[in-house]
Amino acid sequence: MSYKIPMGPYHPGLEEPYKLDMICEGETVLDAKLHIGFNFRGIEHLAETRNHIQVIALMERVCGICSFIHTLTLCRAMEGVAGVTAPPRAQYIRVIMAELERLHSHVLWAGIAAKLMGFKTMFMACFEIREKIMDILAAISGNRVNYSMNRIGGVNRDITDPQSILKMVEALEGEMARTVIPIFTTSRTARSRCAGIGVLTKEQAVSLGVVGPVARASGLPQDLRKDAPYAAYAELDFDVPVQPDGDVRARLLVRALEIMESCKILRQALAKLPPGEFNTGEEKFNFITGTSTARVEAPRGEVMYSVSWKEGSRNPARVHVRTPTYVVMPAIRWMVKGARLADTPLIQASIDPCYSCTDR
Amino acid sequence: MISLETIPEKLGTTEPWVDKGGVHWLTQDATKVRELAKAMNEIHARFITITAYQLPKDEGFRLEYHWDLDGRLLGFSMQLAGKSIESIFDLTEAADWIEREIHEEYGIDFTGREYEPLLLRQGETPGVNLRDVVAASDAVAASSKEKI
Repeated sequence: MSYKIPMGPYHPGLEEPYKLDMICEGETVLDAKLHIGFNFRGIEHLAETRNHIQVIALMERVCGICSFIHTLTLCRAMEGVAGVTAPPRAQYIRVIMAELERLHSHVLWAGIAAKLMGFKTMFMACFEIREKIMDILAAISGNRVNYSMNRIGGVNRDITDPQSILKMVEALEGEMARTVIPIFTTSRTARSRCAGIGVLTKEQAVSLGVVGPVARASGLPQDLRKDAPYAAYAELDFDVPVQPDGDVRARLLVRALEIMESCKILRQALAKLPPGEFNTGEEKFNFITGTSTARVEAPRGEVMYSVSWKEGSRNPARVHVRTPTYVVMPAIRWMVKGARLADTPLIQASIDPCYSCTDR
Repeated sequence: MISLETIPEKLGTTEPWVDKGGVHWLTQDATKVRELAKAMNEIHARFITITAYQLPKDEGFRLEYHWDLDGRLLGFSMQLAGKSIESIFDLTEAADWIEREIHEEYGIDFTGREYEPLLLRQGETPGVNLRDVVAASDAVAASSKEKI
């Protein structure tokens, strides 16, 4: 006899509210339905009531973890409508901030995954490292979250002493290479809890159009930093880790390897930081009637902003946000089918979901 | 890498691509949205999203469909004659949530599919235009302010 187990909207296994209704037979999940919308704030509509400066502060609040990425994508789209290009130094600072945010996001996720695996010492270790990443972000921007770094035509703050940031990054890299990476790549606990569960095949990943580490863990080598380079990524050398298995362990490995690639990008970007202005210095922009679209590779995958403007208007006519979790979340249904009920919290966490982003 | 020039022919159009705002644009007849989805599947393009625009006065709606082809962003703009368009959900599984969201926020009907309960909102029936709801409540608020 089958029965229904609801997980959420408020549940210890979830970091934010959403609901997964699972149809089970014994301990096995037969099917599942997802319910979202618990964080719906109508941000896209609110954006139409804000001017070109206010809208940046608003969209920074779509997500508390990848707030920099949201303003970066928005500013790149608005730069398209205004016909502005950020100077080279700003492009490098954008890369540095984006990669620090990726580190912050991946280490935060690693901690939560460790907790769900029952590996609480690792959870503490990850959160200690995350604090250090936030210290670097605060050293650059003055803020631990919601950095207020992006503006149309560049960034608001310079990196005046890249060498000191480089030293902090190198210390962080050493610590992660000693603790987080070996445990996630070789530990028997991680392997026994993660291997072979929550599988998303390559065919399913293609059909669902999933993005980011979830796609790369299902054998799809897609990453906008390589496929459609923006900011200064075309000038930097890095690899895109891909794993073929599509299970929770593959998603764990992809993120662990991406942590090391981010450190590699950071070292290069800090060493090559070009001289010059870090923004165009303009305060007024001439927005042309039309639409501009920008995409950026966030820690969870592709973020896309479409911004539409009417000439002479103070406010955008439309701001549409497509976040990575929005396309990755429907895959949970396929990942939990046939899984043990006890594995479902870890499986849903393995996509690193952000419901705040999804609901907007 | 597939050449973009081969795609208009597959869609039965001679119009050239227009590069604007970071997108390769092609205007497409809204009645041919399913042919478009089939053509995108054939060339293994990845569906990204649909963006809905409510046009001023009573001009209706415009939908912009986006696909990624090897890092290139393809956009197909369609003007809706009414408030409905054929669903591509059965051809492109990834379009499920965005079709439901647009149905809930703009009242646009994606025909040929069934809707599950509300995706983003709780409470009332799906298929209403939230902008009309907001405009009506703003008007009520403004008139009660005038009375005061």
